[in-house]
Amino acid sequence: MSPPGWGGNLLRGLFNSVLIAAGAYSIGIMVGIAGAFGKLYGGPVLRDLLELYTTIVRAVPELVLILLLYFAGTDLINRLLEAFGYQRIDINGLVAGICVLGIVQGAYSTEVIRGAILAIPQGQIEAARAYGMSPGLLLRRITLPAMLPFAIPGLANLWLIATKDTALLAIVGFNELTQETRTAASTTKAYFTFFLVAGALYLLLTLFSNVIIARVEKWARRGMHVESH
Amino acid sequence: MAEPATARLVDAGARASLWLQPHRIGLIAVGVVLVVCAALFMRWDWLPNYYGLALEGIWRTLWILVVTCVLGFMLAVPIGLVQVTGPRWLSVPAYWFCTVIRGTPLLLQLWFLYYGLGSLFPQYPWIRESFLWPYLRQAWPYAVLSLTLSYAAYEGEVMRGAFAGVARGQLEAARAFGMSRWKVFRRIWLPQAIYRALPTLTGETVLQLKATPLVATITVVDIYAVASRVRQSTFIVYEPLLLLAVVYLCITGILVFAFRKLEARIPARLG
Amino acid sequence: MKYAPEAAAEAIHIENLHKKFGELHVLKGVSLSARDGDVVAIIGGSGSGKSTLLRCINCLENPTSGLIRVNGEEIKLKADSHGHTVPADRRQIERIRSRLGMVFQSFNLWSHMTLIENVIEVPIHVLGVQRDEAVANAERLLARVGLSEKRDVYPAFLSGGQQQRGAIARALAIEPRVMLFDEPTSALDPELVGEVLKVIGDLAQEGRTMILVTHEMKFARKVATHVVYLYNGLVEEEGPPEAIFGAPRSDRLKKFLHNVH
Repeated sequence: MSPPGWGGNLLRGLFNSVLIAAGAYSIGIMVGIAGAFGKLYGGPVLRDLLELYTTIVRAVPELVLILLLYFAGTDLINRLLEAFGYQRIDINGLVAGICVLGIVQGAYSTEVIRGAILAIPQGQIEAARAYGMSPGLLLRRITLPAMLPFAIPGLANLWLIATKDTALLAIVGFNELTQETRTAASTTKAYFTFFLVAGALYLLLTLFSNVIIARVEKWARRGMHVESH
Repeated sequence: MAEPATARLVDAGARASLWLQPHRIGLIAVGVVLVVCAALFMRWDWLPNYYGLALEGIWRTLWILVVTCVLGFMLAVPIGLVQVTGPRWLSVPAYWFCTVIRGTPLLLQLWFLYYGLGSLFPQYPWIRESFLWPYLRQAWPYAVLSLTLSYAAYEGEVMRGAFAGVARGQLEAARAFGMSRWKVFRRIWLPQAIYRALPTLTGETVLQLKATPLVATITVVDIYAVASRVRQSTFIVYEPLLLLAVVYLCITGILVFAFRKLEARIPARLG
Repeated sequence: MKYAPEAAAEAIHIENLHKKFGELHVLKGVSLSARDGDVVAIIGGSGSGKSTLLRCINCLENPTSGLIRVNGEEIKLKADSHGHTVPADRRQIERIRSRLGMVFQSFNLWSHMTLIENVIEVPIHVLGVQRDEAVANAERLLARVGLSEKRDVYPAFLSGGQQQRGAIARALAIEPRVMLFDEPTSALDPELVGEVLKVIGDLAQEGRTMILVTHEMKFARKVATHVVYLYNGLVEEEGPPEAIFGAPRSDRLKKFLHNVH
């Protein structure tokens, strides 16, 4: 039913989706780590600002945030460039999509990681301090690895959300899987088939992710007494 | 609640002063300045023209939210239940329903139903002749169906855990006192499962609210669609989007507040 | 070898230490000193401040005022913006801590590391010891506390006694100048207390400098060179174990000893 070539388009869309999801997820985790530490150990102003950030991002639809951040972000960068006497630039859609979804993911990661850090038995952190670890070393060797088993379920869920949220970029016209599907479908009029195929691709991505997640979870919980589930 | 009114007053006062620390007053001042600047220096002249449409949009957003959440929850209960106790021919489809819906983007589901199924229907004369046809030609039934299914799948997963989490011993006790299976379900199992699921309802409902703007992509005019229309016809970018974000913040705030009141009214203590 | 020769260098010196938690005055001017080879046992009822005193030595709790010298080096303290006393020099405190082997009541082994990884962690990452050297040393220490075959097991899969012996190996791995024991057997099931006390007793025998907060009076009497009885944030009585346990002078100590036996 489909002319040759559409399959390639769909796969390219899938690749773009995975790329955006992976990028946004990485940014989200970095923002999340910084945000969690800010919320736990930061000063009162920083804590309130972070609270504002996580509250707003979690209450306003991703779609609205994507449009706002996309327009405002590109505008701001170009104004800054002009102010410093540089040429305006066209912001790459891929980069913009990754950044915007990353900021959204960051708000959720902040909460997940904050909870995970609070779940670490305090004595383990105290032991590290008692043996003279510097704050950086403590973070790298103790806090981050020790919080992982508590954070993995939440972070895994965020990865699944990230893969699905990439579809929202279709609305701002970025050629990820959903948008490629719509183009293919409206050209060939085979809407039913193409959306079914795209759904299967997303589902496969999710199921594949679940297999990986189960392995990562098992690894992260190696020091825990009760095996997961 | 025999505590004297003055004590409660003092308590409230102490909490207010705890909340209103000096740096917060500064932050609030900055916020007020930002709002005043936005009101003074941004363009709001389009507002009177779109006022009515915006109210209609908010109404439609709320309507879709409430209808799909209620229908979705009613579906979620059996979907959760059959996965815990049902026969295989019910539990397997229910499991796959949850997996598929939760494993694919809502936007794709919406487009699949509207464009995909919607493009198939006209090919069958018996559908065109049925009483449903006038509805099937509009967009909103697809929007409601798709959001309902989505809510049912996510909350169904929660209900599965909630049903499974009720202690077996309590159900055995009910049966030991001679309750019928249906009565055990209605009087013991279902109420406890719903109590367990209640705390997740707030979050799921806020997520559902955040999903409603997707219906704008299939021509349903909710509040998001109104903001897009303003942007397209007046070329004003930020103002409608900012106002839109504020509207969603307010609705979320009201939802969270309402659910908190609801939860506080339910005295159940679960172990 | 239960005596400390007069020539031995001073290991820990505490002078007029105060600690307040808000309104609560936990330590009200405690002085204490230990020379190399001393085993100082700190005893007292709950709330007497004995754990707080120990935790002030490596600044896990920051003292409100007072002087602390470790190996002749004074810990530099300053007041922060909230008026709390904090270490003035983070690097100094980290350096001092890395030579004080602390053993906690609740073991506090790092749960994401196997036993041997717990033991080599500080030598490699804080003290900069070569990995193979640290591993060889750790294996020797684990053999010494009787945990050789548990080297690759995660702490959650060990009994309390095994975890605490592992935690002692972790403390020994940094070649501590002084070992600090914070009620090391209080969280253990009674039948597991013996194995841990045996390890600590052996360490005392070989002349290690130790400060020991404990509820085990018989054990304190056996291993300590000096006993300090803390009451309500002050040193009520101190002296050699024979005097403290054999001929207590203060009524409070008499009552305390009577109650714990």
